[in-house]
Amino acid sequence: MKVLVPVKRVIDYNVKVRVKADGTGVDLANVKMSMNPFDEIAVEEAIRLKEKGIATEVVVVSVGVKQAQETLRTALAMGADRAILIEAAADVQTDIEPLAVAKLLAGVVREEAPGLVLAGKQAIDNDMNATGQMLAALLGWSQGTFASELAVEGDSATVTREVDGGLQTIKVKLPAIITVDLRLNEPRYASLPNIMKAKAKPLATRTPADYGVDVAPRLTVVKTVEPAGRKAGVKVGSVDELIAKLKDEAGVI
Amino acid sequence: MLLTEMQEQVRDMARGFADEAIRPMAEALDRDERFPDELYQEMAKLGLFGIGVPEAMGGPGFDTLTYSIVMEELSRGYASVADQCGLVELISSLLVRHGTDAQRKLLAPILAMQTKVAYCITEPEAGTDVSGIRTTAERDGDGWRLNGGKIWIHNAPVADLGFVLARTDKEAGNRGMSIFIVDLHAKGVERGPKEHKMGQRASQVGALTFTDVRLGPDALLGDAGRGFHMMMSVLDKGRVGIASLAVGIAQAGLEAAVDYAGTRKQFGKAIAEFQGVQWLLADMAKDIEAARLLVQSAASKIDRGQDATKACSIAKCFAGDMAVARTADAVQVFGGSGYIRGFEVERLYRDAKITQIYEGTNQIQRMIIARELLKKGARA
Repeated sequence: MKVLVPVKRVIDYNVKVRVKADGTGVDLANVKMSMNPFDEIAVEEAIRLKEKGIATEVVVVSVGVKQAQETLRTALAMGADRAILIEAAADVQTDIEPLAVAKLLAGVVREEAPGLVLAGKQAIDNDMNATGQMLAALLGWSQGTFASELAVEGDSATVTREVDGGLQTIKVKLPAIITVDLRLNEPRYASLPNIMKAKAKPLATRTPADYGVDVAPRLTVVKTVEPAGRKAGVKVGSVDELIAKLKDEAGVI
Repeated sequence: MLLTEMQEQVRDMARGFADEAIRPMAEALDRDERFPDELYQEMAKLGLFGIGVPEAMGGPGFDTLTYSIVMEELSRGYASVADQCGLVELISSLLVRHGTDAQRKLLAPILAMQTKVAYCITEPEAGTDVSGIRTTAERDGDGWRLNGGKIWIHNAPVADLGFVLARTDKEAGNRGMSIFIVDLHAKGVERGPKEHKMGQRASQVGALTFTDVRLGPDALLGDAGRGFHMMMSVLDKGRVGIASLAVGIAQAGLEAAVDYAGTRKQFGKAIAEFQGVQWLLADMAKDIEAARLLVQSAASKIDRGQDATKACSIAKCFAGDMAVARTADAVQVFGGSGYIRGFEVERLYRDAKITQIYEGTNQIQRMIIARELLKKGARA
C-alpha cells in the first residue's frame, strides 16, 4: 500500500511571529521556516507503517513556493521515498486556500492511487483545520480526524480520535484520509547518513495548472493584528480576597 | 557564513538533538563524571560519529564545514559530548586515510560506538613536544612488542581500542615514530585511575601502561616511521573541531546570559536594561560571531584542499581564548549565582578552559601562526 503525506512549509514554531506594519499578513522576510509539526507526525507515522511492512512506499507532497523543496527534503531525510512539489507562484500560506490545496491533492491522489493519505490535522500558521476534511469530501473517501492512535489491518483502519472530553475509536474503510494529532507519535530526527541520501531521492515538480486547479483566493484578508498585550496582574492579600475575585470578577467559581 | 540547504538541515537536526537530549543531562553528567553510553548509542544511530567518513566506507560523508557545525551544536549541549564526537572523527580520519582494508573494518563498530577508542599520544615527558615520547614498539617475530606509558588519555578508562604513538626507531627523531592499533583488553595493558578534572568532566581521562604487550603484524597503522606525520595529517581538522567546540560553549553561555539578563531584576528593572550589562552581552556576541566565522573559514579551506594550517591555528587559538573570556563574562552577568554549582554558566566557564590547552596549547598555536607568517609572508 502506498501512503501519501501532504506537508506544508510554515513559520518555525519557535519563531515569534510578527504582523506586517500594513496589517496585510505576517512578516515572512528572513524568518525561519520548517515543516508544520503536525505534518512531521504524519510523516513519522507513514514511515513507521513502512517499517512494519504495512506501507510499501511513502510519497510526500507539498503545495507552495520553490523553497518548500527544503521541507520535502526533510521528509525524505526522515525516510519518505520520493517527493512531489506543486510549485505555486505565491506563498501557500498567504494565498492558497484549503479548498484549492485539497483539489490539488485530489489530483495527486488520482495520479498516485495511494491506499491511505496521512495529513497533519492543521497547519500551525493559519490553523484552518480544513484541508484533510475537504480532500475526503472531494474524493468521497472515509476520514478519521484528530488521530492519536492508528492501526491499519487489511482493508480498514482503526483510528482513536481526540474529541472534546475524551477519546473516540472508529473503524474506517480504506482508502481513507487520516488527519493526525499531537500525541500520535514523536517524530524521529533525520540521521546524518539519511540527510545525505535524501539528496539523491526523486523530487518531481508540478504546477497547479497540471491538475487544472485555479488557486486564486476566494477569501479576502480584511486585517491582521497582533494579539492584545497581556495586562499586568494583581497581587491578592489573602485567600478570601482571591476567592472573592474568582467569584465576582472572573466568574469562574 | 552562507550555509547550504543541507548544512542548515544538519545544523537544525544537531541543534534540536542537543536541546532535547544533551543539554538537559549536562549538569548531572558533570556532577557525576559519568560516561553517557546510552546517549552515545543514540547519537551513533543518528550518524553523529565519523561525520567525514565517506559513504563508501559506511559514514555519512560530510565535509569539514558540516563537521564544524555539528561540533558547535553538540558542544552547545555539552562540550564533553562534542569532544567524544571529535575523538571518533580523528580516529576515523586516520583509518580512512591510512588504514588497510582490514583495519577499515574497524570503522563500523567505532562509528556505532560499540568499540570505544582512545588516541594515545601524551606521556609524562612528552606533551606539546611529541618527539620526547618513550613508549617503544620493538620488533618481535612478525609483530611488535609494546612497552611504555601514556597519561591524560581521553577514554582510557572505558576504551576498547587504543591508537598508540610509539617509537620504532630511537635514532630517527620524528621519522622514528609509528602508530599502532592496540587491543586495550590485551595482556600487559593496565589502566590507571580516572582523573578528576576541572571541566568536561563526563570525558573519562586516565593513564595507560603497556608491559610487553604483544602486537600482531596488522597492528601497525600505515607505514612504520610515519606515525608523527599521520598525526600531523589530521591535526588541522582536529583544531577545527576543538575551535568549533569552544564556540559552542561560548554560545551556550551567551544564550544563558541573555535569558538571565532579561529576567533578573535589580533597582526595579531587568539588568538587561543597564548599559554595563548590555556591553557585556554585545562583546560576547561579537567575539562568538568572529570565532565562528574564523572556524568556518578554516574548515572551508580544508574542504577546498587549500593550505589551512595557519587558518586552523588562528581559529583554534582565537576560539579557545574567546571561550574562556566570554564564559567568564557569562558568569559576570549572573553575578553570585554564576559562581554556584548547578548554574549552567559556572560549568561552561570550567568546560572552556581546556580549549586553550588541548589539541595544541594556544601558545603553540601562536608559534605556528608566527612560523607560517615568517615562512610564507603576511598575506599568505
